[in-house]
Amino acid sequence: MPTMKRPYQITASILFALSVLITYESLQLKYYTPLGPGPGFFPFFLSLCLAVLSLVMFYHATFKKSDPRPKDFIDSHLGYLRALGICVAWIWAAAMLEPLGYRLTMLVFFPFLLLILGRVKWYMIVLITLLGSLVTFYVFSIQLSAPLPVGPLDGVFEPIDNLLY
Amino acid sequence: MEAFQFLMDGFAICFQWQYLLITILGCLVGTLIGVLPGVGPAAGTAMLLPLTFGMSPIASIIMLSAIYYGAMYGGTITSVLVNVPGEAASAITCLDGHAMAKKGRGGSALAIAAIGSFIGGNVATFGLVLLALPLTRFALKFGPPEFFSLMFVGLSLATSLASKSMVRGLIAAVIGLLIAMIGIDPVMGVPRFTFGAVPLFNGIGIVPIAMGLFGIGELLLTAEGSKSAVINTRLGEMWPSREEFKRSIGPIFRGTGIGFFGGLIPGLGVLVPTFISYAVEKRISKTPEKFGTGMIEGVAAPETANNAYCNAAMIPLFTLGIPSSAVIAIIMGAFMMNGLIPGPFLFTEHPDIAWGVIASFYVGNLILLIMNLPMIPLWVSFLRIPIPILYTLILGFCVIGSYCAENSTFEVGLTLVFGLLGYAFKKLDIPMAPIILTVILGPMMERALRQSLEMSRGDFTIFFTRPISAVLLGLAVVFVITSLMKMTAQVKEDQEV
Repeated sequence: MPTMKRPYQITASILFALSVLITYESLQLKYYTPLGPGPGFFPFFLSLCLAVLSLVMFYHATFKKSDPRPKDFIDSHLGYLRALGICVAWIWAAAMLEPLGYRLTMLVFFPFLLLILGRVKWYMIVLITLLGSLVTFYVFSIQLSAPLPVGPLDGVFEPIDNLLY
Repeated sequence: MEAFQFLMDGFAICFQWQYLLITILGCLVGTLIGVLPGVGPAAGTAMLLPLTFGMSPIASIIMLSAIYYGAMYGGTITSVLVNVPGEAASAITCLDGHAMAKKGRGGSALAIAAIGSFIGGNVATFGLVLLALPLTRFALKFGPPEFFSLMFVGLSLATSLASKSMVRGLIAAVIGLLIAMIGIDPVMGVPRFTFGAVPLFNGIGIVPIAMGLFGIGELLLTAEGSKSAVINTRLGEMWPSREEFKRSIGPIFRGTGIGFFGGLIPGLGVLVPTFISYAVEKRISKTPEKFGTGMIEGVAAPETANNAYCNAAMIPLFTLGIPSSAVIAIIMGAFMMNGLIPGPFLFTEHPDIAWGVIASFYVGNLILLIMNLPMIPLWVSFLRIPIPILYTLILGFCVIGSYCAENSTFEVGLTLVFGLLGYAFKKLDIPMAPIILTVILGPMMERALRQSLEMSRGDFTIFFTRPISAVLLGLAVVFVITSLMKMTAQVKEDQEV
């Protein structure tokens, strides 16, 4: 029966490496100043704590009885594809919101996600895309005064903008 | 009497139409969040935090609090009718609530849950009113060493109770504290752990962390195995019978007591009081073998306990500035984004906000009771929304929320980073509540530690020579030792098996 031994060993190793990096970084900061503890004081102790805890985690994973691995720890390929699809859509949004503007970015974001996450009828895809990109933009910009980014190509929406503003 | 006078002033504030409207909206949105499987109260409040940006401080806190207790109620609906808990606290309600729904008594189960939640929530709020001023006056005697020790107690409890493994709980707490260190050092003005990235100079805001860990992480996990809810039960009569009422009175009052005291303990979480209240009812019942087959006591007690817990959990936040759970930490984040520090000074510097919000708890509980029962069919219809559409809309909203936090796409990227971290932590069973608690408490804890050491010129004994601080640290040591003993016993038991 597969156990959580290996995942916890890997996690502990990553955390230990992280603690080494943080210890190094905190040593670059002042540990103590004439005013009292410096900016490196608290992070230094925290990084030591992280190092000790990661070693304890590694010890437990290696020498103690490990928990059984949950059945859904490794999911189906399709499941991973859906999760990956969410990440890709999110990266697209993060990268394109400012250069393209909210509306054009989301005109791609919504249909992509709807196609990746499961079967949705084409007219629902169109409806949700329009709702999520255009209607939401006007609701947030006009009603909630939370301006969403506008890109250089947003001129294509000028006729609608003239109607609403 | 003084507290009741302040409470009346609070009612005068929260009965203003705009705050009433916000309470209703918060209750509606919260119930919807509770109904939707995979979106718990923590994820919901985190995702909706940006909605409150344009609001006044009092309106934003009222809204988030209403979302919180609304979500606790909403979770019951899916537990009873679909056998899928909308949020973890309602998991135990599935046992008897769903069995009742199968017998056509779903409406009665939901009505008793609503009445129990109303009573539990109001009694706990009454406790907050009674304890607010005495606790606040006591906390005003605290200096930096006492505050550091108090936060240390809160964190030691939170980490030892939040996870099956104390090591994983502590790792989560240390990671949260380290995240809180990112940005400009508040005393010396030196950038720490920013690696030259200018957007990190202001530190990492609560929105990308909370939304990523609880919202995106949860969605990534559920998207791996998306399933739709199947409704195969009947609501039946919406009003419980006289017999059901009679049998529910005791469980409701016991659930209130258990939930109330559970809410006072930082880090205990809502699951423990709800499970204890169910276990107590089963133990004292003359027919314990019937539990799980549709006993009204099995619905009344845990549902009352979870709402009593929610309202009582506000007591440590309002009086001492200690968040006792992830959702309360997010609400504390909302306070701080509005330039307010929850704790003893809130009652002296902003009594209108403190008492206005407390009064709104009463109003919110009443709104939930009146509004939700007739609306149950509407809430159930939301469960019929196909998962791809639901998740797409939630993700779209998260993009807007994370962008609006700082009007920056850097925050959008950070949200995904924390989402992936949340996904990995869920898989590894590393608790996320200590992370969000320490992210919020970290800067305050560091400030208190540094001020204490400045006062003592670097002498650590300051924490042990001041009586309140020494008692608090003693308590922390007791909690840690108890958890370690529990952990050692568990390891020995496992090895024997």
